[in-house]
Amino acid sequence: MTTTVAATADESGPPSNTPAATRSPRSLVSRLRFDRFSGLYLIGIFFVFFGLTEDNFLIWNGSIEFVLTEKVIVVLLALAFLVPLVTETFDLSIGATMALSLVIVNKMALETDLPDGVGAIVAMLACLLIGAINGLIVVKLRVNSFIATLGMSQVISALIRRIHDGGNITAAFGDRYINFGKGSLFSFTWPGSDTKIELPYYFFYGLLVAFIVWYVLEHTPTGRKMFATGGNREAARLSGVKTDRLSWGALIASAGIAGFAGLIYSWKFGTYTSSVGPPLLFTAVGAVFFGASQLKGRPNVWGTVIAVYCLAFGIKGIGLRYPREIDWMQPMFEGLVLIVAVAVASRQAVVKVTKRRTGAPPVPAPRQVESVGASAEAND
Amino acid sequence: MEPHLLVARHLSKTFPGQVALNDIDIAIDAGRTHALVGQNGSGKSTFIKVLAGYHQPDEGSEAELNGASFTLGDGEAAHAAGIRFVHQDLGLVNILSAVENISMGVGYTTRRFGRIDWRADTQRAKDGLAALGFADVDVTVPVGRLAPSQKTAVALARALDGWQDHAHLLVLDEPTASLPGDDVERLFEAIRILKSKGVAILYVSHHLDEVFEIADDVTVFRDGRRVTTVATASIDHGGLIELMIGHRLERANHRSSIRLEGEPRLEVRGLEGGTVRGVDLRVRPGEIVGVAGITGSGREMLVPFITGQLPSDAGEVVVDGVSIPNYDPAATIAAGVAFVPADRATLGVVPFASVTANLTLADVERHRRGLRLRHAEEVAECLEWIDRLSIKTAGPLVPVASLSGGNQQKVLFGRSLRLSPTVLILDEPTSGIDVAAKDQILRLIDQAAVDGAAVLVVSTDTDELVQVAHRVVVMVNGVIAEEFSGAEMTTGHIEHALLATQKAGTR
Repeated sequence: MTTTVAATADESGPPSNTPAATRSPRSLVSRLRFDRFSGLYLIGIFFVFFGLTEDNFLIWNGSIEFVLTEKVIVVLLALAFLVPLVTETFDLSIGATMALSLVIVNKMALETDLPDGVGAIVAMLACLLIGAINGLIVVKLRVNSFIATLGMSQVISALIRRIHDGGNITAAFGDRYINFGKGSLFSFTWPGSDTKIELPYYFFYGLLVAFIVWYVLEHTPTGRKMFATGGNREAARLSGVKTDRLSWGALIASAGIAGFAGLIYSWKFGTYTSSVGPPLLFTAVGAVFFGASQLKGRPNVWGTVIAVYCLAFGIKGIGLRYPREIDWMQPMFEGLVLIVAVAVASRQAVVKVTKRRTGAPPVPAPRQVESVGASAEAND
Repeated sequence: MEPHLLVARHLSKTFPGQVALNDIDIAIDAGRTHALVGQNGSGKSTFIKVLAGYHQPDEGSEAELNGASFTLGDGEAAHAAGIRFVHQDLGLVNILSAVENISMGVGYTTRRFGRIDWRADTQRAKDGLAALGFADVDVTVPVGRLAPSQKTAVALARALDGWQDHAHLLVLDEPTASLPGDDVERLFEAIRILKSKGVAILYVSHHLDEVFEIADDVTVFRDGRRVTTVATASIDHGGLIELMIGHRLERANHRSSIRLEGEPRLEVRGLEGGTVRGVDLRVRPGEIVGVAGITGSGREMLVPFITGQLPSDAGEVVVDGVSIPNYDPAATIAAGVAFVPADRATLGVVPFASVTANLTLADVERHRRGLRLRHAEEVAECLEWIDRLSIKTAGPLVPVASLSGGNQQKVLFGRSLRLSPTVLILDEPTSGIDVAAKDQILRLIDQAAVDGAAVLVVSTDTDELVQVAHRVVVMVNGVIAEEFSGAEMTTGHIEHALLATQKAGTR
C-alpha cells in the first residue's frame, strides 16, 4: 500500500513540484505526459513491482486471467455510465439494471423450461425498457437525470425483490448457454511451461462493446453531437442537434450495456447474489472519472478501460502482498488513485489556461469585458 | 447651495485604440435623482464600471464623495465611500429567499456557535423592504417566484442594507429593462422614498419617458464626453434627443438600392411572445434588413422567437412559402435558415470542443461516409474556413474557448455560412469584438446577401445597421413602429425613432 502510493507520488511529483518543467513544452517531463498517461504508467509500475516481489502476480491462471475476465464486468458498467455522461446525463440506475438482468436470466433458467438464451433475451429487453423509461422521465417529464435514475435504481431494486426474495440463486445453466459465453476463442500453452493461455468469449464480447462505443463516440457524427450536447446543450440544440433524442438514446444504450454486464456475470459466475449490481456503481463511476483524466482529457472509452485495469491490477498486487488488509485497502486505494490522477490532470489544465491568459496580448475592444478583465489581472 | 455629494473630475478611460471616456467632469447632489443618458457607446456603462471599480480610469482622474476623495477603479473604496450599485441583472440567486439574498450581501447575523439568527435576519429583510414601500414581499419564498418589481426591490434592499443612516449615492443601471409597465411605477415610488431620505440616485436609462418622470437632473454623454447637465424641467423630449444625437457626422447609407426581385424569402407574420407583440416582416432574397430597438422594445427577443430558441405565443414564420414549426431549431435550420445567436458564450460555442467541431456542428453529416466521420476531410474544410474568415487560432483542433471573442464569433459565422443558407439571421453580430473583425463580419454579411440569402440583422449598434442594411425597421413597444430606407436611412433618423416614439406606444 505505502509503496504504491509512494510510486504514485513519484509519478505525479515532477510536474507538480517543478513548474519550470511544465512551462517548457519540450522538457522530458511534459513529453512523458504523466498527466494524460498516469494510468498506463501505474500499470507498468504494478507489473514491475509486484512482478518482482510477489510470486503469484505474474502468473496467468488466478491472477492475470482472473483480473482481465472479472473486470470486464466493471468495464461494461463503467461504459454504461460513460455513454449518457457524454451528453451530460447521469445514469445511476446501471448497477440495479445489471442486477435485474442477472436475476431474470437466473430465475428463468431455474423456473422455466425455456432455453437459457430466451432468458437472456428477456433480460436484455427488460433492461432496454428500463432505459426507455429513464429517457421518458428525463426528457419528457424534465426530471433531472441524477434524481430520475436514482429513483429508478430503487424501483428496480424493488422489482428484483419482488421477483426473488433474497439470497443467492444458482441456476444450472445449460451447456449451450455457458459455452456461448465461456468458450475459448483461442488457447495455447506458454512455451516452456504448463500454463495454458486462454480467454473466454465473453471477454471479447466486452471488448467488442467497448470498441463499438468508442467508434460511435469518436468516429461518427452521432458521437460528435453527443459531445456537443454535453459541452453546451443549448448551443447544440440551436445548431439543430436533437439533444433530447440523444440523451434518450444514450440512456437506452446505457441500460442495454448494463444488462449485458449482467449476462457476462452469469457466464463468469453463474450465480445471482445481492452483492451484484449497485455495490459496483461507485467503482464504475470512479473509473469513468479517472479515465476522463487519461488520454484526451474528457470522458473516453480507452481511458476508462485503462482506469479499470489500473485499479484492478493494483488491487490484485496489494491483495497478494497484504492478504489480510486488502478488505480496507481496496476502497482506500481506489479512492486515492482517482483523486491523485484527476488532480494531476487538472493541474496541467490549470497551468495551460494560466499560461494562455497571462500570455494573451491586450485586446483592443472595450466591450470585450472578459478579455479586458483578464489582461487587467495580468497587469496587477 | 450645498456642496455636491459626488464630484468627479478629469475622468478619462482609454482602451487600446479607443477613448471611451474623455475628461468627464460631473457633479451629483444629495436628495436628487440624476439621470445619465446617452446612446450605445456614449460611455455611460464605462462610467458606471469605473465608479464600481470594474475598470481602472486613466491617470489624473479624481473623485470625491462628501468632500473626501476616494480611489476610482477600486470597488472596495467606492463601497467604503458609500456608493451602492444595482445592476441590470440584479445579481440575485433565484432559488434563495429574499432573507438569504439580502444576508448574503451584508453577512448573516449570527449567534453563538455561528448559528444564523434567522429571526433577526428575517426582520432585517422585512424592514429593508418596508422602507422601500415593499412591505408586501414574502421574504421567505425563493426570489425567483417574486414579481419583477419585487425582485428589484430585494436587490435595492440588499444594496441599501445597513446604510440607511448615512445614505450616499445609489447607482441604478437600467433598472426597468425587464420590468412590465405597472412594476415601473412601484420602483419609482421606492426611488422617491429614498430621495426623500437624502439619497442621491444616479439613474442610467435608455427610456427617456422614465427620465422625465423620475429625474431632477439629467446628464447627457455623447462619444465619451459629457455634453451637458441640465434640470429635467428645463428641457423637453425633443431637446434631449438632440443633445444625445448631436450634430456628429451622420453615417448615411450610400449603397445603391438594389433591385429586389421575387417573393420574400423570409416572412414573419403576427409574431407574438414575451416583449414581442405582433411583428410582421418580409425579407427578399439579396436583401439585408436591419432591426433596431432599445432594450425592452422586443428587439432582443425577436431572433429567439424566429429561430425557435424560445416558443412564441402566436404568429408564423414562413421561409420560401413554407411555414416552419414553432420552437424547433432543427426544423428551422432544415428549412434553410442559419442564425448566429446574440449570446455567444451560452448559446453559441461549445467551449471545450475544438474549433473544427464547433464549425461543423450544424452539419457534421456532410463528412460522413457510411457510418464513419472523415476527420481529415472535416479538418481540411475547417482549415479552409480559418483561411477564408481569417480566424486567428493555434490550429483547427484547439478548444474554441482559447480563441478571442471576435474569432469565436467568426467560427459561429462559419458554422452558419457553410450551410449556404437561404435565410441568414444575425443577433448582435459584432457585439464584443474588435474593429478589424467587425469590418470583416460586415463584409461577410454583405457577401451572403449578394449570394442570394435574405439577411436579417438585429443590432443595438445603429451605425452598423446603417452601414450594412438596405432597410432598417425600428421596434418600439413590441411592434415595428417605423421603417427607413434609401436617403432616409441615417443614424440620426433611426435614433430619433428609437427614442422619440416611446411615448406614442399605447401598450
